[in-house]
Amino acid sequence: MNRLIRSELLKIRTTHTWWIFALATVAGTAAALALNFLQAHLFLNATDDIASGSSPDQAQSIAAQSQVVTQAANIFTSGQFLGCLFAALIGILLITNEYYHQTATATFLTTPHRTTVVVGKLVTAVMYSAVFWLVSTAIAIPAGLIFFQAEGLPSHLGDWDVIRAVLLNLMAFAIWAVFGVGFGALIRSQIGATITVSVVYVVGFSAADLIFTLLHQWLQQDWIRTAQVIVPSTASQVMLAPVKLFPQSPPQWVGALVLIGYGLIAGLIGTLILRKRDVS
Amino acid sequence: MSDGQIVVSGLTKQYKNVRAVDDLSFTVEPGRVTGFLGPNGAGKTTTLRMVLNLVTPTAGAATIGGRRYADLHDPLRTVGAILEASAAHKGRTGRNHLRVICAAAGLPDSRADEVLELVGLAPAGSRKFKGYSLGMRQRLGIAAAMLGDPRVLILDEPANGLDPEGIRWMRDLLRRLAGEGRTVLVSSHLLSEMQLLADDVVIIAAGRLVRQGTVDDVMGSMSTQARVRVRSPQAEALGAELKRAGATVATDADGALLVTRVEAPAVGAAALRAGVELHELVTERPDLEHVFLELTQGKATIR
Repeated sequence: MNRLIRSELLKIRTTHTWWIFALATVAGTAAALALNFLQAHLFLNATDDIASGSSPDQAQSIAAQSQVVTQAANIFTSGQFLGCLFAALIGILLITNEYYHQTATATFLTTPHRTTVVVGKLVTAVMYSAVFWLVSTAIAIPAGLIFFQAEGLPSHLGDWDVIRAVLLNLMAFAIWAVFGVGFGALIRSQIGATITVSVVYVVGFSAADLIFTLLHQWLQQDWIRTAQVIVPSTASQVMLAPVKLFPQSPPQWVGALVLIGYGLIAGLIGTLILRKRDVS
Repeated sequence: MSDGQIVVSGLTKQYKNVRAVDDLSFTVEPGRVTGFLGPNGAGKTTTLRMVLNLVTPTAGAATIGGRRYADLHDPLRTVGAILEASAAHKGRTGRNHLRVICAAAGLPDSRADEVLELVGLAPAGSRKFKGYSLGMRQRLGIAAAMLGDPRVLILDEPANGLDPEGIRWMRDLLRRLAGEGRTVLVSSHLLSEMQLLADDVVIIAAGRLVRQGTVDDVMGSMSTQARVRVRSPQAEALGAELKRAGATVATDADGALLVTRVEAPAVGAAALRAGVELHELVTERPDLEHVFLELTQGKATIR
Protein backbone atom coordinates (compact mmCIF):
# COMPACT_ATOMS: atom_id res chain seq x y z
CA MET A 1 0.00 0.00 0.00
CA ASN A 2 2.85 2.40 0.83
CA ARG A 3 4.36 1.73 -2.58
CA LEU A 4 1.10 2.56 -4.28
CA ILE A 5 0.62 5.80 -2.38
CA ARG A 6 4.20 6.79 -3.17
CA SER A 7 3.52 6.04 -6.82
CA GLU A 8 0.23 7.98 -6.83
CA LEU A 9 1.85 10.99 -5.15
CA LEU A 10 4.61 10.86 -7.74
CA LYS A 11 2.04 10.77 -10.53
CA ILE A 12 0.70 14.15 -9.44
CA ARG A 13 4.08 15.64 -8.57
CA THR A 14 5.60 14.83 -11.96
CA THR A 15 3.02 16.77 -13.96
CA HIS A 16 1.73 20.35 -14.01
CA THR A 17 -1.27 19.32 -11.93
CA TRP A 18 0.22 20.13 -8.53
CA TRP A 19 1.08 23.75 -9.15
CA ILE A 20 -2.13 24.45 -11.05
CA PHE A 21 -4.06 23.21 -8.02
CA ALA A 22 -1.75 25.07 -5.62
CA LEU A 23 -2.29 28.30 -7.51
CA ALA A 24 -6.04 27.75 -7.73
CA THR A 25 -6.28 27.01 -4.00
CA VAL A 26 -4.36 30.17 -3.07
CA ALA A 27 -6.35 32.33 -5.48
CA GLY A 28 -9.66 30.77 -4.41
CA THR A 29 -8.91 31.32 -0.74
CA ALA A 30 -7.87 34.93 -1.36
CA ALA A 31 -11.05 35.66 -3.31
CA ALA A 32 -13.21 33.98 -0.65
CA LEU A 33 -11.48 35.97 2.09
CA ALA A 34 -12.17 39.23 0.30
CA LEU A 35 -15.87 38.34 -0.06
CA ASN A 36 -16.19 37.12 3.51
CA PHE A 37 -14.48 40.25 4.88
CA LEU A 38 -16.92 42.42 2.98
CA GLN A 39 -19.92 40.38 4.13
CA ALA A 40 -18.73 40.27 7.73
CA HIS A 41 -18.06 43.98 7.71
CA LEU A 42 -21.60 44.72 6.48
CA PHE A 43 -23.37 42.30 8.82
CA LEU A 44 -21.42 43.20 11.91
CA ASN A 45 -21.80 46.96 11.46
CA ALA A 46 -25.20 47.62 9.88
CA THR A 47 -27.53 44.92 11.20
CA ASP A 48 -30.43 47.19 12.07
CA ASP A 49 -30.78 48.72 8.62
CA ILE A 50 -30.84 45.35 6.87
CA ALA A 51 -33.13 43.66 9.38
CA SER A 52 -35.83 46.26 9.30
CA GLY A 53 -38.67 45.43 6.97
CA SER A 54 -37.78 41.78 6.43
CA SER A 55 -39.82 38.67 7.26
CA PRO A 56 -39.33 36.84 10.58
CA ASP A 57 -37.46 34.02 8.83
CA GLN A 58 -35.06 36.41 7.19
CA ALA A 59 -34.67 38.37 10.37
CA GLN A 60 -33.74 35.21 12.23
CA SER A 61 -31.23 34.34 9.56
CA ILE A 62 -29.71 37.80 9.65
CA ALA A 63 -29.53 37.70 13.42
CA ALA A 64 -27.56 34.48 13.19
CA GLN A 65 -25.30 35.90 10.52
CA SER A 66 -24.53 38.94 12.58
CA GLN A 67 -23.07 36.94 15.42
CA VAL A 68 -19.33 37.49 15.49
CA VAL A 69 -18.79 33.76 16.06
CA THR A 70 -20.64 32.90 12.85
CA GLN A 71 -18.61 35.39 10.88
CA ALA A 72 -15.40 34.12 12.48
CA ALA A 73 -16.19 30.53 11.53
CA ASN A 74 -17.00 31.72 8.05
CA ILE A 75 -13.78 33.67 7.67
CA PHE A 76 -11.47 31.03 9.15
CA THR A 77 -12.88 28.46 6.73
CA SER A 78 -12.56 30.75 3.72
CA GLY A 79 -11.79 28.92 0.52
CA GLN A 80 -13.95 26.03 1.64
CA PHE A 81 -16.42 26.34 -1.24
CA LEU A 82 -13.81 26.15 -4.02
CA GLY A 83 -11.44 23.99 -1.96
CA CYS A 84 -13.96 21.16 -1.68
CA LEU A 85 -14.50 21.39 -5.42
CA PHE A 86 -10.73 21.15 -6.00
CA ALA A 87 -10.57 18.16 -3.65
CA ALA A 88 -13.26 16.45 -5.73
CA LEU A 89 -11.40 17.36 -8.93
CA ILE A 90 -8.09 15.90 -7.74
CA GLY A 91 -9.95 12.69 -6.93
CA ILE A 92 -11.46 12.68 -10.41
CA LEU A 93 -8.07 13.34 -12.02
CA LEU A 94 -6.39 10.49 -10.12
CA ILE A 95 -8.79 8.04 -11.76
CA THR A 96 -9.62 9.57 -15.14
CA ASN A 97 -5.97 10.36 -15.98
CA GLU A 98 -5.41 6.60 -16.13
CA TYR A 99 -7.94 6.31 -18.91
CA TYR A 100 -7.24 9.62 -20.63
CA HIS A 101 -3.53 8.85 -20.93
CA GLN A 102 -4.07 5.08 -21.23
CA THR A 103 -1.87 4.38 -18.24
CA ALA A 104 -4.48 2.14 -16.62
CA THR A 105 -2.82 -0.83 -18.32
CA ALA A 106 0.57 -0.11 -16.76
CA THR A 107 -1.02 0.57 -13.38
CA PHE A 108 -3.01 -2.66 -13.27
CA LEU A 109 -0.09 -4.69 -14.64
CA THR A 110 2.03 -3.42 -11.76
CA THR A 111 -0.72 -4.02 -9.21
CA PRO A 112 -3.21 -6.65 -10.41
CA HIS A 113 -5.29 -6.27 -7.22
CA ARG A 114 -7.61 -3.53 -8.30
CA THR A 115 -9.16 -2.87 -4.91
CA THR A 116 -5.67 -2.06 -3.63
CA VAL A 117 -5.19 0.37 -6.51
CA VAL A 118 -8.44 2.19 -5.71
CA VAL A 119 -7.72 2.32 -1.99
CA GLY A 120 -4.29 3.75 -2.83
CA LYS A 121 -5.96 6.43 -4.93
CA LEU A 122 -8.52 7.20 -2.20
CA VAL A 123 -5.79 7.65 0.39
CA THR A 124 -3.75 9.81 -2.00
CA ALA A 125 -6.76 11.98 -2.86
CA VAL A 126 -7.48 12.48 0.85
CA MET A 127 -3.82 13.39 1.46
CA TYR A 128 -3.89 15.98 -1.30
CA SER A 129 -7.20 17.39 -0.07
CA ALA A 130 -5.64 17.74 3.39
CA VAL A 131 -2.84 19.74 1.81
CA PHE A 132 -5.42 22.00 0.11
CA TRP A 133 -7.12 22.47 3.48
CA LEU A 134 -3.79 23.25 5.13
CA VAL A 135 -2.94 25.86 2.50
CA SER A 136 -6.41 27.45 2.73
CA THR A 137 -6.39 27.48 6.53
CA ALA A 138 -2.82 28.78 6.70
CA ILE A 139 -3.90 31.78 4.63
CA ALA A 140 -7.32 32.31 6.23
CA ILE A 141 -6.24 32.31 9.89
CA PRO A 142 -3.62 35.10 9.81
CA ALA A 143 -5.71 37.12 7.36
CA GLY A 144 -8.80 36.67 9.57
CA LEU A 145 -6.92 37.71 12.69
CA ILE A 146 -5.80 40.90 10.96
CA PHE A 147 -9.39 41.58 9.88
CA PHE A 148 -10.86 41.25 13.39
CA GLN A 149 -8.01 43.35 14.74
CA ALA A 150 -8.89 46.06 12.22
CA GLU A 151 -12.61 45.81 13.01
CA GLY A 152 -11.86 46.00 16.70
CA LEU A 153 -13.76 42.77 17.37
CA PRO A 154 -12.76 39.53 19.15
CA SER A 155 -11.64 36.85 16.67
CA HIS A 156 -13.17 33.89 18.63
CA LEU A 157 -10.41 31.70 17.16
CA GLY A 158 -10.18 29.84 20.46
CA ASP A 159 -13.94 29.09 20.61
CA TRP A 160 -14.90 25.47 20.14
CA ASP A 161 -17.53 26.56 17.60
CA VAL A 162 -14.84 28.06 15.41
CA ILE A 163 -12.27 25.31 15.92
CA ARG A 164 -14.94 22.74 15.16
CA ALA A 165 -15.81 24.57 11.93
CA VAL A 166 -12.16 24.53 10.86
CA LEU A 167 -11.82 20.80 11.65
CA LEU A 168 -15.14 19.91 9.99
CA ASN A 169 -13.82 21.82 7.00
CA LEU A 170 -10.95 19.31 6.77
CA MET A 171 -13.46 16.49 6.89
CA ALA A 172 -15.48 18.08 4.10
CA PHE A 173 -12.35 18.34 1.93
CA ALA A 174 -11.54 14.67 2.54
CA ILE A 175 -15.08 13.47 1.82
CA TRP A 176 -15.26 15.44 -1.43
CA ALA A 177 -11.92 13.93 -2.47
CA VAL A 178 -13.29 10.42 -1.88
CA PHE A 179 -16.44 11.41 -3.74
CA GLY A 180 -14.27 12.57 -6.67
CA VAL A 181 -12.43 9.24 -6.93
CA GLY A 182 -15.72 7.33 -6.92
CA PHE A 183 -17.25 9.65 -9.45
CA GLY A 184 -14.19 9.44 -11.71
CA ALA A 185 -14.51 5.66 -11.74
CA LEU A 186 -18.17 6.00 -12.59
CA ILE A 187 -17.69 8.43 -15.48
CA ARG A 188 -14.37 7.55 -17.07
CA SER A 189 -14.32 10.57 -19.35
CA GLN A 190 -12.09 13.21 -17.81
CA ILE A 191 -13.93 16.16 -19.27
CA GLY A 192 -17.32 14.59 -18.60
CA ALA A 193 -16.61 13.86 -14.96
CA THR A 194 -14.98 17.24 -14.32
CA ILE A 195 -17.80 19.23 -15.85
CA THR A 196 -20.54 17.15 -14.23
CA VAL A 197 -19.10 17.47 -10.75
CA SER A 198 -18.32 21.18 -11.17
CA VAL A 199 -21.83 21.94 -12.38
CA VAL A 200 -23.52 19.79 -9.75
CA TYR A 201 -21.35 21.34 -7.08
CA VAL A 202 -21.63 24.98 -8.06
CA VAL A 203 -25.16 25.08 -9.43
CA GLY A 204 -26.42 22.25 -7.23
CA PHE A 205 -26.70 24.29 -4.04
CA SER A 206 -28.58 27.21 -5.59
CA ALA A 207 -30.77 25.00 -7.77
CA ALA A 208 -31.64 22.75 -4.82
CA ASP A 209 -32.33 25.78 -2.68
CA LEU A 210 -34.73 27.12 -5.28
CA ILE A 211 -36.50 23.81 -5.92
CA PHE A 212 -36.91 22.93 -2.26
CA THR A 213 -38.06 26.45 -1.40
CA LEU A 214 -40.73 26.29 -4.10
CA LEU A 215 -41.84 22.81 -3.02
CA HIS A 216 -41.94 24.01 0.56
CA GLN A 217 -44.13 26.99 -0.30
CA TRP A 218 -46.40 24.86 -2.45
CA LEU A 219 -46.94 21.96 -0.01
CA GLN A 220 -46.45 23.94 3.22
CA GLN A 221 -44.52 21.08 4.82
CA ASP A 222 -41.45 21.97 6.86
CA TRP A 223 -39.83 18.56 6.37
CA ILE A 224 -39.44 19.30 2.67
CA ARG A 225 -37.15 22.17 3.43
CA THR A 226 -35.27 19.96 5.89
CA ALA A 227 -34.97 17.22 3.28
CA GLN A 228 -32.86 19.57 1.18
CA VAL A 229 -29.90 18.13 3.08
CA ILE A 230 -29.91 15.13 0.70
CA VAL A 231 -28.29 17.37 -1.93
CA PRO A 232 -24.53 16.83 -1.52
CA SER A 233 -23.51 20.48 -1.68
CA THR A 234 -26.27 21.42 0.78
CA ALA A 235 -25.17 18.65 3.12
CA SER A 236 -21.67 20.09 2.93
CA GLN A 237 -22.94 23.56 3.87
CA VAL A 238 -25.20 22.26 6.65
CA MET A 239 -22.31 20.33 8.14
CA LEU A 240 -20.03 23.36 8.20
CA ALA A 241 -22.42 26.11 9.32
CA PRO A 242 -22.00 26.73 13.05
CA VAL A 243 -25.61 28.01 13.16
CA LYS A 244 -28.64 26.91 11.19
CA LEU A 245 -28.19 27.54 7.49
CA PHE A 246 -31.95 28.05 7.09
CA PRO A 247 -34.68 27.86 9.76
CA GLN A 248 -35.66 24.25 9.04
CA SER A 249 -32.13 23.01 8.40
CA PRO A 250 -31.24 19.81 10.28
CA PRO A 251 -28.40 19.72 12.81
CA GLN A 252 -24.76 19.66 11.66
CA TRP A 253 -24.29 15.94 12.28
CA VAL A 254 -27.06 15.12 9.81
CA GLY A 255 -25.19 17.03 7.12
CA ALA A 256 -21.98 15.20 8.05
CA LEU A 257 -23.76 11.83 7.94
CA VAL A 258 -25.29 12.54 4.54
CA LEU A 259 -21.94 13.65 3.14
CA ILE A 260 -20.10 10.63 4.57
CA GLY A 261 -22.84 8.47 3.08
CA TYR A 262 -22.26 9.95 -0.35
CA GLY A 263 -18.49 9.56 -0.01
CA LEU A 264 -18.85 5.90 1.01
CA ILE A 265 -21.34 5.09 -1.73
CA ALA A 266 -19.26 6.81 -4.43
CA GLY A 267 -16.06 5.13 -3.22
CA LEU A 268 -17.74 1.73 -3.01
CA ILE A 269 -19.43 1.93 -6.41
CA GLY A 270 -16.20 3.20 -7.97
CA THR A 271 -14.24 0.29 -6.51
CA LEU A 272 -16.79 -2.28 -7.65
CA ILE A 273 -16.84 -0.84 -11.17
CA LEU A 274 -13.06 -0.84 -11.45
CA ARG A 275 -12.87 -4.42 -10.20
CA LYS A 276 -15.25 -5.69 -12.84
CA ARG A 277 -14.37 -3.56 -15.82
CA ASP A 278 -12.06 -4.89 -18.52
CA VAL A 279 -9.03 -2.72 -19.25
CA SER A 280 -8.66 -2.44 -22.99
CA MET B 1 12.22 -20.80 -9.25
CA SER B 2 9.47 -22.14 -11.46
CA ASP B 3 10.05 -21.90 -15.16
CA GLY B 4 8.43 -19.24 -17.27
CA GLN B 5 6.09 -21.46 -19.23
CA ILE B 6 2.84 -19.81 -20.31
CA VAL B 7 -0.13 -22.17 -20.41
CA VAL B 8 -3.39 -21.04 -21.96
CA SER B 9 -6.22 -23.52 -21.50
CA GLY B 10 -9.74 -23.24 -22.82
CA LEU B 11 -9.61 -19.45 -22.80
CA THR B 12 -12.89 -17.94 -24.00
CA LYS B 13 -14.14 -14.36 -24.17
CA GLN B 14 -17.73 -13.73 -25.14
CA TYR B 15 -18.68 -10.13 -25.82
CA LYS B 16 -22.28 -9.17 -26.42
CA ASN B 17 -22.46 -10.35 -30.01
CA VAL B 18 -19.01 -11.67 -30.69
CA ARG B 19 -17.05 -14.63 -29.36
CA ALA B 20 -13.69 -12.86 -29.57
CA VAL B 21 -11.72 -15.83 -28.25
CA ASP B 22 -13.15 -19.32 -28.48
CA ASP B 23 -11.82 -22.20 -26.34
CA LEU B 24 -8.20 -21.31 -27.10
CA SER B 25 -5.42 -23.51 -25.71
CA PHE B 26 -1.68 -23.36 -26.34
CA THR B 27 1.62 -23.32 -24.49
CA VAL B 28 4.63 -21.04 -24.78
CA GLU B 29 8.04 -22.41 -23.83
CA PRO B 30 10.89 -20.57 -22.12
CA GLY B 31 14.12 -19.91 -24.00
CA ARG B 32 12.31 -19.46 -27.28
CA VAL B 33 10.64 -16.66 -29.17
CA THR B 34 7.03 -17.54 -29.88
CA GLY B 35 5.17 -15.63 -32.56
CA PHE B 36 1.47 -15.13 -31.94
CA LEU B 37 -0.09 -14.65 -35.34
CA GLY B 38 -3.52 -13.99 -36.67
CA PRO B 39 -5.37 -11.64 -38.99
CA ASN B 40 -6.71 -8.39 -37.59
CA GLY B 41 -9.57 -9.06 -35.21
CA ALA B 42 -8.52 -12.66 -34.61
CA GLY B 43 -8.47 -12.11 -30.85
CA LYS B 44 -4.72 -11.75 -30.29
CA THR B 45 -4.91 -8.65 -28.10
CA THR B 46 -7.91 -9.95 -26.14
CA THR B 47 -6.02 -13.19 -25.46
CA LEU B 48 -2.91 -11.38 -24.25
CA ARG B 49 -5.02 -9.10 -22.04
CA MET B 50 -6.73 -12.13 -20.51
CA VAL B 51 -3.33 -13.71 -19.80
CA LEU B 52 -2.40 -10.46 -18.01
CA ASN B 53 -5.60 -10.22 -15.94
CA LEU B 54 -6.69 -7.02 -17.66
CA VAL B 55 -9.70 -8.65 -19.30
CA THR B 56 -11.76 -11.23 -17.41
CA PRO B 57 -12.22 -14.45 -19.37
CA THR B 58 -15.72 -15.84 -19.84
CA ALA B 59 -14.23 -19.30 -19.39
CA GLY B 60 -10.82 -20.94 -19.14
CA ALA B 61 -7.63 -19.71 -17.55
CA ALA B 62 -4.05 -18.78 -18.28
CA THR B 63 -1.03 -19.35 -16.07
CA ILE B 64 2.51 -18.04 -16.15
CA GLY B 65 5.00 -20.37 -14.46
CA GLY B 66 2.02 -22.17 -12.94
CA ARG B 67 0.31 -19.12 -11.45
CA ARG B 68 -2.41 -16.84 -12.68
CA TYR B 69 -1.17 -13.28 -13.26
CA ALA B 70 -3.29 -11.94 -10.39
CA ASP B 71 -1.64 -14.46 -8.03
CA LEU B 72 1.92 -13.50 -8.93
CA HIS B 73 3.70 -12.14 -5.91
CA ASP B 74 5.71 -9.46 -7.69
CA PRO B 75 4.19 -9.36 -11.19
CA LEU B 76 6.70 -6.95 -12.72
CA ARG B 77 9.60 -9.13 -11.56
CA THR B 78 8.05 -12.09 -13.33
CA VAL B 79 6.34 -10.68 -16.41
CA GLY B 80 7.12 -7.66 -18.56
CA ALA B 81 4.42 -6.63 -20.98
CA ILE B 82 3.95 -4.09 -23.74
CA LEU B 83 0.41 -3.49 -24.91
CA GLU B 84 -0.85 -0.65 -27.13
CA ALA B 85 1.69 1.94 -28.33
CA SER B 86 2.97 2.16 -24.74
CA ALA B 87 1.00 5.03 -23.29
CA ALA B 88 2.19 7.53 -20.73
CA HIS B 89 0.98 10.87 -19.40
CA LYS B 90 1.79 13.42 -22.12
CA GLY B 91 3.21 15.95 -19.70
CA ARG B 92 5.46 13.53 -17.81
CA THR B 93 9.06 12.80 -18.76
CA GLY B 94 10.10 9.34 -19.84
CA ARG B 95 12.24 8.87 -16.74
CA ASN B 96 9.44 9.99 -14.41
CA HIS B 97 7.01 7.64 -16.15
CA LEU B 98 9.35 4.77 -15.31
CA ARG B 99 9.87 6.03 -11.75
CA VAL B 100 6.12 6.03 -11.13
CA ILE B 101 6.07 2.34 -12.08
CA CYS B 102 9.21 1.68 -9.99
CA ALA B 103 7.53 3.24 -6.96
CA ALA B 104 4.42 1.08 -7.33
CA ALA B 105 6.46 -2.09 -7.93
CA GLY B 106 8.89 -1.43 -5.08
CA LEU B 107 11.87 -1.20 -7.44
CA PRO B 108 14.69 1.30 -6.87
CA ASP B 109 14.64 4.50 -8.96
CA SER B 110 18.00 3.54 -10.41
CA ARG B 111 16.26 0.84 -12.47
CA ALA B 112 14.61 3.61 -14.49
CA ASP B 113 18.00 4.87 -15.67
CA GLU B 114 19.29 1.35 -16.29
CA VAL B 115 16.43 0.39 -18.61
CA LEU B 116 16.58 3.76 -20.39
CA GLU B 117 20.20 2.90 -21.12
CA LEU B 118 19.20 -0.60 -22.25
CA VAL B 119 16.76 0.68 -24.88
CA GLY B 120 18.98 3.56 -25.98
CA LEU B 121 16.62 6.22 -24.68
CA ALA B 122 18.87 7.69 -21.99
CA PRO B 123 19.47 11.01 -23.81
CA ALA B 124 15.68 11.58 -24.06
CA GLY B 125 14.90 10.50 -20.48
CA SER B 126 14.22 14.00 -19.22
CA ARG B 127 12.08 15.00 -22.18
CA LYS B 128 8.32 14.93 -21.99
CA PHE B 129 6.41 12.02 -23.45
CA LYS B 130 4.43 14.22 -25.83
CA GLY B 131 7.64 15.02 -27.71
CA TYR B 132 8.49 11.36 -28.30
CA SER B 133 8.28 9.80 -31.76
CA LEU B 134 6.32 6.56 -32.15
CA GLY B 135 9.61 4.66 -32.19
CA MET B 136 10.72 6.32 -28.95
CA ARG B 137 7.38 5.49 -27.35
CA GLN B 138 7.82 1.84 -28.26
CA ARG B 139 11.30 1.90 -26.77
CA LEU B 140 9.92 3.45 -23.58
CA GLY B 141 7.33 0.66 -23.50
CA ILE B 142 10.08 -1.94 -23.74
CA ALA B 143 12.01 -0.10 -21.05
CA ALA B 144 8.97 -0.28 -18.77
CA ALA B 145 8.58 -3.99 -19.49
CA MET B 146 12.22 -4.61 -18.55
CA LEU B 147 12.09 -2.70 -15.23
CA GLY B 148 11.62 -5.81 -13.10
CA ASP B 149 14.13 -7.88 -15.12
CA PRO B 150 11.32 -10.38 -15.83
CA ARG B 151 11.83 -13.91 -17.12
CA VAL B 152 8.66 -13.70 -19.22
CA LEU B 153 8.01 -11.05 -21.87
CA ILE B 154 4.67 -10.53 -23.53
CA LEU B 155 4.60 -8.03 -26.39
CA ASP B 156 1.61 -6.96 -28.48
CA GLU B 157 2.70 -5.73 -31.92
CA PRO B 158 5.96 -4.23 -30.63
CA ALA B 159 7.26 -3.52 -34.12
CA ASN B 160 4.44 -1.08 -34.90
CA GLY B 161 5.83 2.34 -35.67
CA LEU B 162 9.46 1.25 -35.62
CA ASP B 163 11.68 2.09 -38.58
CA PRO B 164 13.72 -0.70 -40.22
CA GLU B 165 16.67 0.00 -37.94
CA GLY B 166 14.38 -0.07 -34.92
CA ILE B 167 12.84 -3.36 -36.03
CA ARG B 168 16.30 -4.86 -36.40
CA TRP B 169 17.23 -3.62 -32.94
CA MET B 170 14.05 -5.09 -31.47
CA ARG B 171 14.66 -8.42 -33.18
CA ASP B 172 18.20 -8.63 -31.81
CA LEU B 173 17.02 -7.65 -28.33
CA LEU B 174 14.22 -10.25 -28.24
CA ARG B 175 16.50 -12.98 -29.60
CA ARG B 176 19.10 -12.13 -26.98
CA LEU B 177 16.49 -12.19 -24.20
CA ALA B 178 15.21 -15.59 -25.37
CA GLY B 179 18.82 -16.76 -25.57
CA GLU B 180 19.15 -15.93 -21.87
CA GLY B 181 16.40 -18.46 -21.19
CA ARG B 182 13.47 -16.05 -20.97
CA THR B 183 10.05 -16.71 -22.42
CA VAL B 184 9.18 -14.31 -25.22
CA LEU B 185 5.65 -14.17 -26.65
CA VAL B 186 5.23 -11.64 -29.48
CA SER B 187 2.07 -10.97 -31.39
CA SER B 188 2.41 -9.58 -34.87
CA HIS B 189 0.86 -9.32 -38.26
CA LEU B 190 4.27 -8.70 -39.85
CA LEU B 191 4.78 -12.28 -40.98
CA SER B 192 8.06 -11.86 -42.77
CA GLU B 193 9.40 -10.33 -39.58
CA MET B 194 8.18 -13.33 -37.56
CA GLN B 195 9.96 -15.71 -39.89
CA LEU B 196 13.24 -14.03 -38.97
CA LEU B 197 12.45 -13.75 -35.27
CA ALA B 198 10.32 -16.63 -34.04
CA ASP B 199 11.24 -20.19 -33.14
CA ASP B 200 7.64 -21.25 -32.57
CA VAL B 201 4.38 -19.90 -33.87
CA VAL B 202 0.83 -19.97 -32.59
CA ILE B 203 -1.60 -19.10 -35.35
CA ILE B 204 -5.16 -18.14 -34.55
CA ALA B 205 -8.09 -16.99 -36.64
CA ALA B 206 -11.59 -16.00 -35.58
CA GLY B 207 -10.63 -16.62 -31.95
CA ARG B 208 -9.68 -20.26 -32.53
CA LEU B 209 -6.34 -22.00 -32.66
CA VAL B 210 -5.35 -22.87 -36.22
CA ARG B 211 -1.88 -24.29 -35.75
CA GLN B 212 0.86 -24.41 -33.17
CA GLY B 213 4.41 -25.64 -33.65
CA THR B 214 7.92 -24.67 -34.61
CA VAL B 215 8.19 -22.38 -37.62
CA ASP B 216 9.81 -25.19 -39.64
CA ASP B 217 7.13 -27.74 -38.74
CA VAL B 218 4.27 -25.43 -39.53
CA MET B 219 5.76 -24.47 -42.86
CA GLY B 220 6.75 -28.05 -43.75
CA SER B 221 3.23 -29.30 -43.22
CA MET B 222 1.77 -27.05 -45.85
CA SER B 223 0.65 -28.09 -49.30
CA THR B 224 2.55 -25.19 -50.81
CA GLN B 225 5.87 -26.63 -52.00
CA ALA B 226 9.09 -25.10 -53.23
CA ARG B 227 8.90 -24.12 -56.86
CA VAL B 228 11.28 -22.78 -59.48
CA ARG B 229 10.55 -19.59 -61.32
CA VAL B 230 12.20 -19.46 -64.71
CA ARG B 231 11.96 -16.84 -67.41
CA SER B 232 12.95 -17.28 -71.02
CA PRO B 233 12.15 -15.56 -74.34
CA GLN B 234 11.48 -19.05 -75.72
CA ALA B 235 9.10 -20.08 -72.96
CA GLU B 236 7.13 -22.56 -75.04
CA ALA B 237 10.16 -24.63 -76.07
CA LEU B 238 11.42 -24.63 -72.47
CA GLY B 239 8.00 -25.63 -71.16
CA ALA B 240 7.81 -28.59 -73.52
CA GLU B 241 11.29 -29.80 -72.52
CA LEU B 242 10.43 -29.45 -68.82
CA LYS B 243 7.27 -31.49 -69.21
CA ARG B 244 9.29 -34.23 -70.91
CA ALA B 245 11.55 -34.19 -67.82
CA GLY B 246 8.51 -34.89 -65.62
CA ALA B 247 7.93 -31.37 -64.27
CA THR B 248 4.62 -29.62 -63.77
CA VAL B 249 4.65 -26.26 -65.48
CA ALA B 250 2.36 -23.29 -65.00
CA THR B 251 2.64 -19.85 -66.51
CA ASP B 252 2.70 -16.83 -64.23
CA ALA B 253 0.82 -13.67 -65.13
CA ASP B 254 4.04 -11.94 -66.19
CA GLY B 255 5.00 -14.75 -68.55
CA ALA B 256 7.47 -16.55 -66.28
CA LEU B 257 7.16 -20.32 -65.89
CA LEU B 258 6.42 -21.73 -62.44
CA VAL B 259 7.94 -25.17 -62.27
CA THR B 260 7.22 -27.76 -59.59
CA ARG B 261 8.26 -31.39 -58.95
CA VAL B 262 11.83 -30.78 -60.18
CA GLU B 263 14.71 -28.86 -58.61
CA ALA B 264 16.55 -25.88 -60.06
CA PRO B 265 19.53 -27.90 -61.51
CA ALA B 266 17.07 -30.06 -63.50
CA VAL B 267 15.44 -26.92 -64.87
CA GLY B 268 18.87 -25.57 -65.93
CA ALA B 269 19.71 -28.88 -67.60
CA ALA B 270 16.40 -28.86 -69.46
CA ALA B 271 17.11 -25.34 -70.72
CA LEU B 272 20.52 -26.46 -71.97
CA ARG B 273 18.98 -29.44 -73.77
CA ALA B 274 16.34 -27.22 -75.38
CA GLY B 275 19.00 -24.63 -76.29
CA VAL B 276 16.99 -21.72 -74.92
CA GLU B 277 18.19 -18.48 -73.41
CA LEU B 278 17.44 -17.90 -69.68
CA HIS B 279 16.78 -14.52 -68.06
CA GLU B 280 15.85 -15.70 -64.60
CA LEU B 281 16.12 -18.92 -62.66
CA VAL B 282 15.23 -18.90 -58.99
CA THR B 283 13.90 -21.31 -56.37
CA GLU B 284 10.95 -19.90 -54.39
CA ARG B 285 10.30 -21.43 -50.98
CA PRO B 286 6.92 -20.89 -49.37
CA ASP B 287 7.27 -18.20 -46.72
CA LEU B 288 5.30 -17.85 -43.54
CA GLU B 289 3.05 -15.37 -45.27
CA HIS B 290 1.84 -17.94 -47.80
CA VAL B 291 1.38 -20.54 -45.10
CA PHE B 292 -0.48 -18.06 -43.00
CA LEU B 293 -2.79 -17.00 -45.78
CA GLU B 294 -3.47 -20.63 -46.62
CA LEU B 295 -4.24 -21.48 -43.01
CA THR B 296 -6.45 -18.54 -42.26
CA GLN B 297 -8.21 -18.36 -45.60
CA GLY B 298 -11.93 -17.87 -45.19
CA LYS B 299 -11.60 -17.51 -41.44
CA ALA B 300 -10.46 -13.93 -41.42
CA THR B 301 -13.77 -12.37 -42.28
CA ILE B 302 -15.11 -9.51 -40.23
CA ARG B 303 -17.24 -10.92 -37.45
